[in-house]
Amino acid sequence: MRRKVIVGSLAILLAFSIGLVGFFAVSDGRPDGLETVLEEQGVEEQQPVWTAPLDYGSDYFTALAMGIIGFGLVLVISFGYLRAAKKQQGTK
Amino acid sequence: MHISDGLMAPVIWIAGMAIALAFVALAFRRVERRLEDRTVPYMAILAAGIFLAQMLNFPIIGGTTGHLIGAALAVALLGPWGAIAIIFTILVIQSLVFGDGGITALGLNTLNMAVIGSLAAWGVIRLTPKRYKLPGIAVAAWAAVFLGATACAIELALSHAIDPSYGIDGIIALPSMMGLHSVIGIGEAIITTSVIAFLAKVAPETLGMAQEKAKGEFDAT
Repeated sequence: MRRKVIVGSLAILLAFSIGLVGFFAVSDGRPDGLETVLEEQGVEEQQPVWTAPLDYGSDYFTALAMGIIGFGLVLVISFGYLRAAKKQQGTK
Repeated sequence: MHISDGLMAPVIWIAGMAIALAFVALAFRRVERRLEDRTVPYMAILAAGIFLAQMLNFPIIGGTTGHLIGAALAVALLGPWGAIAIIFTILVIQSLVFGDGGITALGLNTLNMAVIGSLAAWGVIRLTPKRYKLPGIAVAAWAAVFLGATACAIELALSHAIDPSYGIDGIIALPSMMGLHSVIGIGEAIITTSVIAFLAKVAPETLGMAQEKAKGEFDAT
């Protein structure tokens, strides 16, 4: 199972690193659907209530690094939570 | 489609937070009840993969882009409750760590993308005859985006109706959001169907793994 997790994670990260090339070639800096509607109506973005410690980055290597960090965070938090829930389920 | 802070009227985002958290609590309870040892890493990898996919915007029309939400993909693999739980987890990390989506809008983002997206996809998949599995997943993915965006447009309209300094007039918000996301939904449908078709070929054991005990739910294999 551990081997499958590692292989699966590496395959997803490889696909992401390739997909990121396409992202920077055709989509970088362009608004998404909601942002387009807001821009057209002249709605300005407000100051965020919470200042996040990171952002996705504006160049390929920063975005790749942020992607890897985010991937790791989601993986570890999800795995940790689900593992703890499974253990608790076993003790009941 | 991540809503930022200050866009919606307080009463709307507070109501959205309350509704979303009720669904999230129910989703985590259902997931915990059905959890198996072998599905734990599988769900975690899927969540992490959807996080990455959400970073990759694709171009649609007129300089606008869209990105995968992943609700239909998660529903096809985990069922609706698993999908709500992992999309919520992704939204929390995006908001807290990367500033993608406001903290005050976390409830509305969860409601639109995790709850409405997942339940819409699940409804379509459930109604699809088994011999039309892949087309059913495509329609489910499109519906998840379209209905999530429609909900977002309604929230914008309600916010504006309550206080014109928030949101956008419904006459503009509804057709604009629904029009753009009807196209973005096609991208979601293509990506979701491709991933499911790919998994069916290279790792068929992963399809339906986390929902074996979910009586009557969709088996993508």
